[in-house]
Amino acid sequence: MKPEMKVLSASGQLGYGIPEEAFRRGVARQPDVIGADMGSIDPGPYCLGSGEMVVAGEGLRRDLRMVLEAAKETGAPLLMGSAGTAGRRSQLDGVIEVVESIAKERGLSFRLATIAADIPVDVVRKHLRAGDIEPCGIVPALTEKELDRATGIVAQMGVEPFQRAIKMGADVVIAGRSCDTSMFAAIPLLKGYDKGLTMHMAKLIECASACADPGGRDASMGVMGEGYFIVESMHPRQRCTPVSVAAHALYEQSNPFQLEEPGGIIDLTDSRYEQIDERRVRVTGSVWRPTSRYHVKLEGARHTGYRYIAMGGIRDPRMIAATDSVAEETRQIVERTFAGSIDPSEYTVQFRIYGKDAVLGAAEPTPGMAQSHEIFVLIDVVGRTAAIAKSVCGVAKQFFLHLRYPGILCTSGNIAHPFSPDVLSAGPVYEFNIYHLMPAGDPGELFPIEMRTIGGGT
Amino acid sequence: MARLDEIAKVIRSKNAGPFCLTLDILFGDDPSYRRVVAAEAITREKMAALYRQPVENVQVYHHPTALAMKVSIVRAAPAGSLMDTDLYGAQQHVLLYPIEIA
Repeated sequence: MKPEMKVLSASGQLGYGIPEEAFRRGVARQPDVIGADMGSIDPGPYCLGSGEMVVAGEGLRRDLRMVLEAAKETGAPLLMGSAGTAGRRSQLDGVIEVVESIAKERGLSFRLATIAADIPVDVVRKHLRAGDIEPCGIVPALTEKELDRATGIVAQMGVEPFQRAIKMGADVVIAGRSCDTSMFAAIPLLKGYDKGLTMHMAKLIECASACADPGGRDASMGVMGEGYFIVESMHPRQRCTPVSVAAHALYEQSNPFQLEEPGGIIDLTDSRYEQIDERRVRVTGSVWRPTSRYHVKLEGARHTGYRYIAMGGIRDPRMIAATDSVAEETRQIVERTFAGSIDPSEYTVQFRIYGKDAVLGAAEPTPGMAQSHEIFVLIDVVGRTAAIAKSVCGVAKQFFLHLRYPGILCTSGNIAHPFSPDVLSAGPVYEFNIYHLMPAGDPGELFPIEMRTIGGGT
Repeated sequence: MARLDEIAKVIRSKNAGPFCLTLDILFGDDPSYRRVVAAEAITREKMAALYRQPVENVQVYHHPTALAMKVSIVRAAPAGSLMDTDLYGAQQHVLLYPIEIA
């Protein structure tokens, strides 16, 4: 029988505050691997398109200090993926800088591997021309024009680059964009544990204790054995139950039985969940089904323009009743005002009317505002340049504020702006334009590894 | 008859990637789960009509072990795009609340 192997998940979002007590309890159990996820595509295209550090400051520093010191204390390798949210090079470098500074401050020394996940445009172009790029789900086919508009392209790395870094002697691995399973599955797979079970275990603990009841953000442990794994939250009041663990497969997944990963799918159709004591569940029966080709998922974002916004509340019942028609008339006036100077294709104007349908849009079943005593209007303008957006937003705001409507009593202003200035810059705007699968012959060639020694003798 | 929000323990929505919205209905007990499955209230056709999407853009899954149902729908606008209203897809579940269950 293989000995059991303990994988501790420190956090599903490193940098947002690891709950300390549960993490300490996990470290005291002497894990064989410590892993942490640092990112996600969820916060949207800005993080990927701009390459800015989204998580930063003392929150990031504190969490990194905790995991680096735990790795030193236990001797366990530490694997972190999707550095700086989107996992671009600039974000990876930002995290490495903090790690180096902590090591210096605390006198830590270790072999650090860093793995970039940025994919050069020309690599994607070569595959695109060969007809090798497929949409991931219902997404428009990729064109060269869209490819050239992308300001940042990353691919989600599988376990292989992490495994290579460990074989090269890394104690700590920090990677750019990664599958959320890779940090937790890489080492158990190197040790020969079953791939279906290992990948399923990784999928459960990557969100920390979200698979427990009640779910939380606390550290969780996956224990690999021969033909099974056991999952447990490190928070004493969170229980894993067969229902809570089975239900976690639903979270953020479109299909809860077939989870797509590079090189195959995790098939949970025949997974069995067994309560082995008050707080732990044993899982068996999860199967890895390799696909004929090894694909990585590409993520890309383009720079669309710049956003200016104006916003405010409407309290006058006559204006509430007239809001739709005032918005529509304002839209027409804006277009007429800029006809001949700014082409309508160079900007968009949206009136987002909260209290009506601003959240559900066309699916809103109750778009009437008759019962609302107060509504909120967000005038959202995106222009090709910041100057266009600012000017269009200003005109839209001014006409919306002063337009006359049938039945008007208040002729001095239609909307209560809370701020000065009442037209605000919301910065550059990015949109996802690549969410596609690309074949990779050797996943290693896409994800270059750099080794360095941190601290030690200095 | 009862409403779905009187029967389910969890009703939530979230992105499954930037182009897909996924809705989870968790029951926590077997009789509630079976009742809703038997009522055939959560079908591809009904969900497509509710979320104003063509049927081919909608998938429905039953998960008896998790005592849960899942509905996955192609997003009307990709997350973070100009026309998007809900970056995380976190408030799109409310249309499920009033569904009447026999």
